[in-house]
Order: sequence, then C-alpha cells, then structure tokens
Amino acid sequence: MAKKDPYSLTTILMLLPGVGFIIFFIGSSITLTVLQSFGLSSLIGESRFTLSFWKAILFSTEALDSLKFSLKMGLLSSIGTVLIAFPLALFFRKAGAGKGLLGSIIKIPLFIPALVAAFLILNLISYHGLINTILMRLGIIAEPKRMLNDSFGWGVVLIQVWKNLPFVLLILMSAISSIRDDTIDAARNLGAGYWSILLRIYIPLAMPGILVAMILMFIKAFGDFPITSVAGPIYPSSVAGRMQTMAHIFQEWNQAAVLGVIIIITTFFVIWAYSRFAELVQGDK
Amino acid sequence: MKRQTVPIPLHLIQKRRQKRFYLGLTAFFVIVQLLWVGIPIFMAVMWSLVNPNDSWSYPNILPPSFSLDQWDYVFKYTNIGRALRTSYTVAPLAVILSFLLSLPTSYILGRKNVPGKKIFMLVVLLPMIMPGMVVALFLSRVFSILGLSQTFFGLVVAHTLMSMPYMIRVMTTSFAAIPQDVIDAAENLGATTYVKIKDIFLPMIRPGLLAGMIFAFTTSIEEFNLTFIIGTPTFETIPTILYSFMGYNFIRTNASVVSLLMMTPNIVMLFLVERFLKSDYLSASLGKM
Repeated sequence: MAKKDPYSLTTILMLLPGVGFIIFFIGSSITLTVLQSFGLSSLIGESRFTLSFWKAILFSTEALDSLKFSLKMGLLSSIGTVLIAFPLALFFRKAGAGKGLLGSIIKIPLFIPALVAAFLILNLISYHGLINTILMRLGIIAEPKRMLNDSFGWGVVLIQVWKNLPFVLLILMSAISSIRDDTIDAARNLGAGYWSILLRIYIPLAMPGILVAMILMFIKAFGDFPITSVAGPIYPSSVAGRMQTMAHIFQEWNQAAVLGVIIIITTFFVIWAYSRFAELVQGDK
Repeated sequence: MKRQTVPIPLHLIQKRRQKRFYLGLTAFFVIVQLLWVGIPIFMAVMWSLVNPNDSWSYPNILPPSFSLDQWDYVFKYTNIGRALRTSYTVAPLAVILSFLLSLPTSYILGRKNVPGKKIFMLVVLLPMIMPGMVVALFLSRVFSILGLSQTFFGLVVAHTLMSMPYMIRVMTTSFAAIPQDVIDAAENLGATTYVKIKDIFLPMIRPGLLAGMIFAFTTSIEEFNLTFIIGTPTFETIPTILYSFMGYNFIRTNASVVSLLMMTPNIVMLFLVERFLKSDYLSASLGKM
C-alpha cells in the first residue's frame, strides 16, 4: 500500500475548482430534488413535509408504466449493444490489414449527436421508409410494418444501439486488449477449444469492462428523453419525459421531484447490482 | 536442368490461409459497417436535396430530382444561423472553462495519493452518471435562485459541468502517466514550478489534453437536456432546434438539413484528430468506475 499524501491547504485549494464545482451544482440539484419530493423548500407556494406527492406518483398508472418502459429500454439497449460489440471487440484484438479503416468507420456514430442519430434511423424505419419500401418491393411483406413509434419500443432500442455501439466497443476493446496472449496460449495448450476459451477466459477476464459498458449504456437509455419522445411509442413516455411533462406542462414540480428521486435511486441501484454481479463472476474479492 | 521443388511447410500454408481468412473477414466487416453507417447518412443527404416542386413520395426509393431549395429555406426562414452561432461560441468557452477548472484538480488526482481519492474519482463522474433530465430540471431551479437561468453565462456553466467528467478523467490519466524520475531530475537541476509546468507537465499531458478537449467539445455540441430546460426559449442551440423540427413541427427536409449541418463538422473533426484519439484515452479514463 502506497504512502498516503497528507492534505495541505494547497491540495484542497487545487481540488476545489474541479471536484467542488461538480459537487456544488450536482449536489444542490440532488438535494433540491429530494427536498421537493417531500414538499419542502418549494419555490412557489407553501413548504411543509408531506408524503402526498409520493402517494400520487406511486398510485398513478401513467408514472408506473413510464418507469417500466424506461427500465425495459435500459436493459434491452445495454444487452443489445454489448452483444453486438463484444464479437467485434474480439475481432479487433488481432491487428491486421484494414483494421484502421474499419475502426474509423465504426467510430463515426460516436461523433453523431444522439438526436441526429435518431433522425437518421427514423428515415429508414418510418412507415414509408427505406426498409419497408425495399421489403415490399422484394415481396417479403405485403404491407409496411410499423417500426417507428411502435408500442414495444424497438425503434428506440435500434437507435440506442446504433448510436452507442462505438462507445461500448472502445470500452470493450481496452478490456479485451488487457488479456495477455500467454493466457490464451496456455489454455489452448491444455486443450481448450474456441468455446471454452471464450466462456472461461475472454468473458470472465473482460467482465469489468463489459459491466462498465452495460452500466453506462443502461443509464443513457434509462434516463433518455429526446430519443424516446421522437421515436418511442405514443404511450407510455419515458420516465424522464414524464417528469418533464409533470414539471413544465402541469407545473407539478413536487411530483416531478418524486420521479426524479425514483430515477436517481434506480440508477444507483443498477450500478450497485451490476458491480455485485461483477464480484460474483470474478469469484473472490 | 531439373529443379527440385521444395514443398511449402504446412505451418506456412496454414498461416497464409489464416491471414487470407482474416483479410476476408475485415473486408466483410468494412462492407457491413459502410452500409450500417453509410445508408442512414446517405438518406439524410437525399432528403436535404428534395426538390419542392417535384415531390419524393412513397414508392420511389430515391428522389426524382434534386435542388438546393431546402438549404436555402432553412437558412432564410429558420433560426438556424443564430443556433449555429450559439452552439459554436458556447462549446469553445465551455471547453476552456472546464480545462481551467480541471487542470489543478487533475494534477492532484493524478500525482498525489490523497485519502479519499477513489471517492473523488467517482464524484467527478456524477454529471455523466446522473440522468440528464433530473439534473437539468432541478439545476434549472438552482440556476433561477442564482440568477443564471436563461443567461448566456448560465448556458456556458451548464455545458462546462457536463464536459468536466471527460476532461478530469482523461487529464488525470495523463498526469498519472508522467514518470516521477523526469520530475525528480528536473527538480535536481533546479527547475522552478513555472519551468516544470511549461516544460514537463504541459508537453507531457498534451495528447491527453487534446483528447479531453475533443470529448468536451462534442459533449457541448450535442448537449440537449440542460440547454432545452435552461436555455430555451432565449437561447437555441443546434440540438434544440433539431428537436423542434422533429417534434411538434416535424419537417423531414428541414430536419435533414439541420442534421447534416450538425454532424459534418463532428465527422471532419473525427478524421482530423483520429491519431490523437487512440482508444486508450476514453477507455483508460472511463474503463474503471
């Protein structure tokens, strides 16, 4: 264990601009969210402690439907992206001709803003979009399929996967490149086949990276507002969208705060659950 | 004269075959990726070139004729010019501000082993981890208490906040990678703090700093939630104007022009800075929670 450097006045002063700035703004908004969800420190009207806003949200079908929908989007997007990115990351492990070009092309969506990505994909999947037109010309389907604003939310998942694939791929690539060739060679020498190398070496050793990628993806898709409101189903809206409507359209800031607290708690719970899972997979520690 | 042919050893044949297989696989992935990324962009270009007098509708896969009228229209009759100006002034300011704020903090987190460092490393990720809409809605209330709501400075502060995780994480990794020997040697030779910063720290963190600035810049350009809540209607950036074209008044041709305007600089930047953007920076700084 390395020696700890003691705190000096300079150290604290140097930490303040970065850490202090973030704690001040994020901390104050979290505090305000929690306080307002219990009816305290309302900016308009009277402030007193009450649980009525929590009751209103927990007994509202709309809010619960939104919550369920966003959870589903978060899970499906994170699993989908990792499932596509992992084989690609394995392929990138070995350098070869043309990999540089491939890497650049794959990275393009990373630099395309989320809303633009949503627009690009919805051009393809809309009712009279390219995919439906081609499928109908080929005679595969008799009439256009509804893929945009579908009631399940596949359109949203597709957009999330398209946009975030390079981000997840970068994280997975670094996780996989840290696995040493010796380990693979040793396993092969001892008679391990492709599948057992994949299941017993690549996946467990890359697990920390896989989980970070899944956590970040889940958070992005779960807390999403613009993509769901553009490509998602008409009902329910995403939980962030529901919160925005509550606050801005109905001016129910306290109920919006309750939804905010629910989103924050879910996010932290998911991070905790994923990291527990990582410990389980890696065995000890 | 009869030449004796030496048979090619088996392992060389296998290696050659394997190489050919990998090359083929690479070519396959390149084609798949070109379609996966290229078709959506191509369709947006098509939509932005639709001729208003010769409409493009359902059974046609491509528009029957092209014109630049849509571009003309967007620049003449929408606020896109102002939004572009706002986006491209806020982003550099946010990058500079987040650089100045992150520099001392990253130095401490990268070079010193202070107690609670792990917690600080998590805390700086908060703007990225916290769901955007929750932060946006309630930060807007904090901002209205502070008088920052609907102001240009408030917008810059909000964008700075969102860029800080990338900036601090990437610069911390760069600071941590400087070998202590170099610093010791410089100190032995009598380098002052100023010289150390100018000749050691800044040159050695420059690649990381560039990567951090690129991430901060793109974060600011595509920031939606905070701008939507804190800035509109006073300030419009490209994402919020695009949202208005995609939401309550959906006009596909306008939206495609705005989309192209928004992503072209980003993609050009990606290829220009490709060599600074090794995957290491993002993953080294975000790979561990």
